[in-house]
This record gives sequence, C-alpha cells and structure tokens, in this order.
Amino acid sequence: MPGIATMSLENMYCTRCGDGFEANEKIVNSNGELWHTNCFVCAQCFRMFPDGVFYEFEGRKYCEQDFQVLFAPCCGKCGEFVIGRVIKAMNANWHPACFRCEECSSELADAGFIKHAGRALCHACNARIKADGLQNYMCHKCHGVIDGEPLRYRGEVWHGYHFTCATCGVELDHTAREVKNRPGYAATDVNNLFCLRCHDKMGIPICGACRRPIEERIVTALGKHWHVEHFVCAKCEKPFHGHRHYEKKGLAYCEQHYHQLFGNLCYVCNQVIAGDVFTALNKAWCVHHFACALCDAPLSTRSKFYEYDERPACRRCYEKLPSELRRRLRRAHHYTLRR
Amino acid sequence: MSHHPPVSCIPNTTKMSKAKKVIEEAREINNPEIDLVDKGISNLEEIPALSALANLMNLEILNLANNHVEELPVSLSSLPKLRILNVSLNRLYTLPRGFGAFPVLEILDLTYNNLNEKTLPGNFFMMESLRALYLGDNDFELLPAEIGNLKNLQILSLRENDLIEVPRELGSLPRLRELHLQGNRLVVLPPEIVSCINSVSSTLSRH
Repeated sequence: MPGIATMSLENMYCTRCGDGFEANEKIVNSNGELWHTNCFVCAQCFRMFPDGVFYEFEGRKYCEQDFQVLFAPCCGKCGEFVIGRVIKAMNANWHPACFRCEECSSELADAGFIKHAGRALCHACNARIKADGLQNYMCHKCHGVIDGEPLRYRGEVWHGYHFTCATCGVELDHTAREVKNRPGYAATDVNNLFCLRCHDKMGIPICGACRRPIEERIVTALGKHWHVEHFVCAKCEKPFHGHRHYEKKGLAYCEQHYHQLFGNLCYVCNQVIAGDVFTALNKAWCVHHFACALCDAPLSTRSKFYEYDERPACRRCYEKLPSELRRRLRRAHHYTLRR
Repeated sequence: MSHHPPVSCIPNTTKMSKAKKVIEEAREINNPEIDLVDKGISNLEEIPALSALANLMNLEILNLANNHVEELPVSLSSLPKLRILNVSLNRLYTLPRGFGAFPVLEILDLTYNNLNEKTLPGNFFMMESLRALYLGDNDFELLPAEIGNLKNLQILSLRENDLIEVPRELGSLPRLRELHLQGNRLVVLPPEIVSCINSVSSTLSRH
C-alpha cells in the first residue's frame, strides 16, 4: 500500500470511530476510506463481513444476511430473497422463475400477464377462462368457483358463506346487502354486510324504480323514495334532477310532457298556463282567455254558461241559437245527465 | 263575384257599419283579433272593408259566427298568423279552392253549415297545425280517410251529421282526446277506434 506508506500516521483517522491508528496496526482501506479492522463491520450486526463480502446501502455497509433481511425483496411464491431481477406484480415481488400463470404454470415474466378475478394468468388461459366460464365466478377469498349467484361486495365476488351478518351473525348468501353509509354513522362503521332481514330492519329506503336500497341522495315523491337518477318522467324517462315535476294518476311527468299529455295548455292561446287555471269541460283556460265559444265575450268564473260541443257558450249567444238546435242540445244534455 | 249594390242580403245596416268599423279599427291598432259575430254578413266580397281582411298580417283570431255567409274568399287562407277561425252558424255550402293553405290554423269551427265531404277542397286535410276541428251540424255522409293526416288533432266534432261510417284512420290520430259522433247513422265503429276509446272522451250516444 504505497499510499498509506507515504502518509503520516498522525493524519489518518478511522472512518467509523474517528480515532487514529497505532504504528504497525492493520488498517483496512476501502475505496480510500480507512478503518480499524474491528471497526470495519456490518452496520446491523457489528460483525466482520464473512469472506470480506459486504453490501452498501445509503452509505452504510451490511453483511449479505442483514442486507437481504433489511432490503432485499422476498419472493411471493418461494419466500426466498430475490437477488438480481425482481418481478413486481400483483402487489408482490417474485423471482422471474416463480411468477407463473396460475392455470398452466407458464412463466409470465417476459410474456406478460392478465389479472383475472385476483389471479395472474397468461393471455391464453385468460381468454379460455373468460370464454368457458362467464357465469363461473371465482371467489375473491378462497379462489374457488362460485356455483350460482355470487355475493358482490367491495367490487369483488365472494362465496356468501365467508361472511356473517354484522347484526345477527347469521351466515350470509348472495342476497346479503352491503351498507356503505347511513345517516349518523361514520363510513368506517357501516361498511358491512347484513342479511336481508336485518337490512330491512335498518329502515334504509328502497328505490321505487329499481327496488334497491338508496344510500346516496334520496328523492321523496309520489309517496315513495327514489334514487335521484331513477326519478324520471313517465313519458320521456329523463330524470328530473330537482326540476319541477307534475303528478297525474300516480305517475310523474316533466312539464312539457305533462301539458302535452293532459292538455293543461290553454284552449285559446295553446300556451302553458302560467297563472290560475280555469278548468271546465275537460279543457283548461288562462283565466283571461275563458270566453264564450260563439262570441268570444269573456266569461268570469261565476258566469253561467251553457255547454256547446264541450265548450262554454254565454247565455246571450245560446239564446240566439236556432231554436231547433237549442232543442237538440237540450235533449242531448238531458240524455247525458240521465246516464 | 257580382258587383251589384249590396241590398237584398243585408238585413241590418247598422250592424254592417259596425262590421266595417271593427275591421278598420283592427287595421289601425294592429289588433290580432276581429269579432264579427252576428253582424248580418252574407257576402264578404260585397263589403270592401271585409274583402281587405286578407291584408291583416297580424290577425290571429277571426270570428264570423252567426251570420249568413255562403262562401269564404280564397284570400282568407293566406292570413299568415290566423290561429282561430270561427265560421259556425252560417250558410256555407262550399269551401274555396285551396282553403287548407292556412299556415298556422289551430281551431277551425265550421259547425252548423251546409258542408259535406264533396264540398271540401283537396288540401283540406293538409292543415297539420289543426288541434280542434268542429264539423257538427253539417251534411257529411262519409269522412275522408285523409283525416289521419291531422296529426295534431285533439278535438273532432262530427255531431249531428249523416255519417254511415267513420274511417279507421281516426284511430291513428295520436293526440285525439275528444271525439263527438252523436246524432249520426253509425251502427259500428272500426276496431281501431274502439281500442283507444278509453283515452278519448267521446260522445257516441243516441244513434
């Protein structure tokens, strides 16, 4: 070590403890840094490096064992440390040889993979499984095939029997209901599953259209509760989204279709009646448009009028009608009354 | 049209001068509504002021009910804004050629005249804007199938005519809600009408 030989001992200090070196003491030189031999040890276990092999991380030196314990990833399959190429997939680390298709065990590291129902599959197996098992769900917990309806919960499918009702403890099936939020409860308190019976007892409103529980905004109308997006015009099926709706025979309509269907347009001006409505003879009028069908003279709400082709006629006009017509109208009127 | 002085057909001259006044006033103030009910009018062409009706570009409502009008001027149909025309209780025995040219007519009242299917002009059923058509107390024996063209029709009165049958096209009027057929000679109705009868308020009694 010509470098050290030319240096004076007074100017040399150990990188770890900062003390100087004795004459004739063995000095370790690593990349220009100097150490006492018993200071050149693993930063974790303070023992000499076996065979002088060490790993450096953020300026500290570790023996192989401690470096791997502290920093090397563990393989998701064999549990051994992964040295060299690490495959990061499915929220875990893998040896390239350990990351394989869960169906056909072919290596996926270079071929790529597809996540299907929580399993890593090669392209071929994914296509096959999708094709022959559209109805066969894979339980997110046990990865077993689910016969029949799956329980849908937190965006995954499950065997119902992995869960119990949060209230009564009964084993659940696919009819179990997830409650995401509930007035007066924090979200973390209620993200639970309940059997139908207990769910019903919680008084969560059911949408009048889709028959599913309503956990977000509720519209109450027509004596029922609705999801905001399910409360729609009975004619055009567009949601009202808080706009005014009109009710008729237990159904709700938007303004346009209510007037179109039920004629609440003024008989004279054919416009939506803004103010008070005068209704008679299956028709509607703006109050100031209600008039005699013959002479157009305005009729007040108290005026006496005669029915003439389902329209109002004022007394003066009615009495001026040809007498034979009046006779026929009178007869028709009596006939209608008798019925 | 004849140019004889209007003597015989005008029973009440004071009424007639009122009619002129109404029209002149309407022109001056741009009144959209003209009421000539019961003015003893028998021939619109005989009165200069009346023949000028067609120049009233803003006229929306024209009421000629209860006069003695036998014919209507051709020019009437070109009134660009006329929505309501009432010629009921007159003596119309025909309608002028091209009568159906009204661009925005909504209510047409021809009750109590002498009209029948043969006197309707060819374009009568092209008035798609019509929502009420009153043909009661006339002489119709048949109703043309073209009635089905009046897609906006909500009210149809054919009361007291001589109808023997009505066309099935009546059943295809999507907005019809009032149908008056009483006082005719109908024995059966097409099934197309019967099927929608619940939604239509109809008077079919006294056959």
